[in-house]
Amino acid sequence: MSQQPTKDKRFVSSRRSFLQGGLTAAGGAAAAAALGTGAAFAAGTPDPAITDIKDWNQYSGAGVDAAPYGMPSPFESHVVRRDVPWLTADPVSSINFTPLHELDGIITPNGLCFERHHSGVAEVDPAEHRLMINGLVDKPLVFTMQDLMRFPRENKVYFLECAANSGMEWRGAQLNGCQFTHGMIHNVMYTGVRLRTLLEEAGVKPSAKWLLAEGADASGMGRSIPIEKALDDCLVAFKMNGEALRPEQGYPVRLCVPGWEGNMWVKWLRRLEVGDKPWHLREETSKYTDLMPDGRARRFTWAMDVKSVITNPSPQAPITHGRGHTVITGVAWSGHGAIKRVDVSIDGGRNWQTARIDGPSLSRSMHRFYYEFDWNGSPLYLQSRAIDEQGYVQPTKNALRAARGENSIYHNNGIQTWYIKANGEAENVEVS
Amino acid sequence: MSKFLKLTASVILFGAIATTGANAQDADAGKKVFRKCAACHAVGKGAKNKVGPELNELIGRVAGSLEDYKYSKAMTAVGEEGLVWNNDTLTEYLTKPRGFIKGTKMAFGGLKKDAEIENVIAYLATYSASAEQAAAEPEEMAEPAETADATSGQAPAGLAADAVIPDHGNYHLGRVALPEEITAWDIDVRPDGAGLPVGKGTVADGGVIYDESCAVCHGVFGEGEGRWPVLSGGFDTLTADRPEKTIGSYWPFASTIFDYVNRAMPFGNARSLSADETYAVTAYLLYLNDIVTDESFELSNETFSDIKLPNEENFYPDDRLEEPNFAKGTEPCMQNCGDRPAEIVMRARVLDVTPDNDEEGGAGGID
Repeated sequence: MSQQPTKDKRFVSSRRSFLQGGLTAAGGAAAAAALGTGAAFAAGTPDPAITDIKDWNQYSGAGVDAAPYGMPSPFESHVVRRDVPWLTADPVSSINFTPLHELDGIITPNGLCFERHHSGVAEVDPAEHRLMINGLVDKPLVFTMQDLMRFPRENKVYFLECAANSGMEWRGAQLNGCQFTHGMIHNVMYTGVRLRTLLEEAGVKPSAKWLLAEGADASGMGRSIPIEKALDDCLVAFKMNGEALRPEQGYPVRLCVPGWEGNMWVKWLRRLEVGDKPWHLREETSKYTDLMPDGRARRFTWAMDVKSVITNPSPQAPITHGRGHTVITGVAWSGHGAIKRVDVSIDGGRNWQTARIDGPSLSRSMHRFYYEFDWNGSPLYLQSRAIDEQGYVQPTKNALRAARGENSIYHNNGIQTWYIKANGEAENVEVS
Repeated sequence: MSKFLKLTASVILFGAIATTGANAQDADAGKKVFRKCAACHAVGKGAKNKVGPELNELIGRVAGSLEDYKYSKAMTAVGEEGLVWNNDTLTEYLTKPRGFIKGTKMAFGGLKKDAEIENVIAYLATYSASAEQAAAEPEEMAEPAETADATSGQAPAGLAADAVIPDHGNYHLGRVALPEEITAWDIDVRPDGAGLPVGKGTVADGGVIYDESCAVCHGVFGEGEGRWPVLSGGFDTLTADRPEKTIGSYWPFASTIFDYVNRAMPFGNARSLSADETYAVTAYLLYLNDIVTDESFELSNETFSDIKLPNEENFYPDDRLEEPNFAKGTEPCMQNCGDRPAEIVMRARVLDVTPDNDEEGGAGGID
C-alpha cells in the first residue's frame, strides 16, 4: 500500500479565502495582496514555500489507478459553471455560464461549456437513438449512431454563442463578471459528419427550401434552418474536443450551425425534416425574435455578430499584483468569419492599441488576444473592440441601443467596459 | 403475352442457360458476390429457406414455386404468369429487384455491376441440375457459420460479408424509414395547418385541462407564476418600457401553440395529451387571449385555419446589416477619440457575482 498524500488543509483554506476576497471584490485581502510580489513574502524572510519540505515533495502521490477519468486539481474547484437563479423560472429550463475568466487559449474544456436546455438534460441511450430524415427527400431514412459514424468525418473548431449572451446588459451594466455578461459561449473542436452528406444520402428534392432540426429531449427542441445553410457548413457532431459529447451538450449527437445562434444547434438530434416553408415553432416566434422600439419584431436573426471581451482582468479576476508589467487577455469571435484584429483601450475608448492574437485563427471560432503593458497603478477603463474578416466592427452598446432600443434581448455584441480601480478590483460599468 | 413469358421464350430460343464448365472463372467470382446475398439466401448441400428461399435448382425454377417458402403475393403472381428463373430473368431481377417485380419482399436493392450479376448467376448455376459439380461444391453456404466467440458473451456478430447493403444514396448507409415511424415522430405543425392531426376540443374542455395541468406554472388566467411564461394579456405593451410578450400580444401564429403544447407540455410530462386535449388547451389559450370569446367554441383541424393572431403582420426578416454600425470597411478611430475623457455613466447593479435570493431579479430575463 502506497502512502496516501495528506492534504494541506491550511493551503486550501487560505487559497479559498483569498479567492473569496477577490470574488467579492471586498477590497481588503485583494488590496493587501496587490502591493507586493507575493502575499506570503515579507522582505528578508525566507519563503517557507521554498524552505519547508512539502508533503508532495516527500510522500508518494496517487497511483495510476486512482482516477480512471481524470479531474482538475482540487485547488481549481472554484472553476465551475455558475447560474443566475433570477434569470429563469426553474433550473430545469435555464442556463449557466462558462467561467471565461479562468480559461486561456481558445478551447473550452468540456465540463465547463455553458449549458442551456429547455426541459433538462436528456439522458439518451445511444443504442436506442435514431436520426431520421424525412419530408421532401427521395427516400426517408433512419440512421443508427453506428451508421452515422460510417460517413466521412471532419474536425472543426466553432464557437457556440447563445443569442441571449449579454442580453441582461441591454439596459445598462448589470452583472459583475465576464462569466455572467459573456459566458453563454463555448468554443469546441467537433468531430462529425457534414449535414449535407446525410441529406444527400436521402436525396433532397428540388422544392426543398427549409430544414427542421428536432431534438429527442422532453422539450422537443425544434428550429427551422434555410436549406442553403443546411447544405453549406452545418455539421452533425458526435464528438467534442475528441471525446463523446457530454450529455448536457446533446449526447450522443448534436447539430452544429457555425456562426449562428446557439439555440439552432439542436442537441440530442433525432430528426431532420426537409420542407418548403419555415415551421415558426416556439423558439423562432415567441423566443429568439428581436423586439424593436416600434413594437415590430425581427425574426430569423441567425448570425452572431463580431464580438469580444476582456476576460482578465475582470470583476471575478482582479489585478492582485500591483503596478508593473500587466497582461490583459480576452477572447474575440464572429459569426461572419475569422477575426482580423482586436484593439484594446485602457482609457474608455479614447485611444486604442492593437492587441496580439495568439493561437489558431479559424473562421467562426474564438480567438485569443493579449495586450501587455506597464500599469502605473491609476484607474483604467478597459475595453476591447474586434474587427472580423468581413470588415464588421464591434459596435458600442449605445450604437446598438440607438438602432434597436433596449428590449430586443438577443444579439447584444456591444463593447464591454471594465473599470479597474487603483487597488486592482474590477467592476462592470459603462462610460460616456 | 406478358414480359415474363417473352423473356422465357427468348431463353428457350437461344438456350442461354449458363453451365458450370463454360463459366468456371465467373462462378468463382460469383461466389464472392453471393456474400451479399448469403444473409438471406442459402445454396448448396442441405440449403434451407432463410429470410429468402433456398436457391438450389434455381435455374429453370418457376418464380414463387417453392411450396415451403412464403413468397410475396407479387412473386407468386409472376410465377403463375409464367416467369421462370434463367440467365435473362435473373439478370433483370438482380439489376433492380423492385423495378422488375413490384411488390417483391426482397429488400436487396440490386447489384450495380453487370459483371457481378453474370458471375453470381454463374455461381448459382453450379447448384442447378445442369451443373454436374453441384454436389461437390462446398457446404459452408448452407447455414450461417457458428463463429461466435464463446468467451465474449456477445451475440454473434455474423460475418461481415453477410451485411446487407442498401441501394440508396452515395454511401448506402442507414435504412428506409417506415411510414409508421415517420408518423410517430413527425408531429410538427406549420402555420398553414400542415401537420395538424384530426381532432377537436372546446374552450370549456380546455379550461378543465388547463386548470389541472397548466395553471400551476402559467397562472389561472395565463398571467404566469414566478418567472414562468406569461401566456395572456400584454396587449399594446410592445412599445412600452417593459413589454409583455404573450400569445395574444406577440406570437404570430396559433399553430405554434398547438405544436408546442403537443411536443413539450405539460412541462415535465410532455407528449401526454391526446390530439383532442391539445386542441382543447389551444382553444382555451385563445380564449384567455380574447382571440375567441365563446366558451363553446370548438377548435379542430378543420376550424384551425380560421384563427389569426393579431400580431402576425409585425414580424419581418432580419435586416441588421442595414444598421449604421454594420457599415463595412470603416476604419474605427484609434487616437484621441471623443471630446473629453471617459466618465462612468452606469455601474453594475448586481454587486455579488454569485447572485443569491434576489427575487426581484435584474432587468431582461432570457426565458
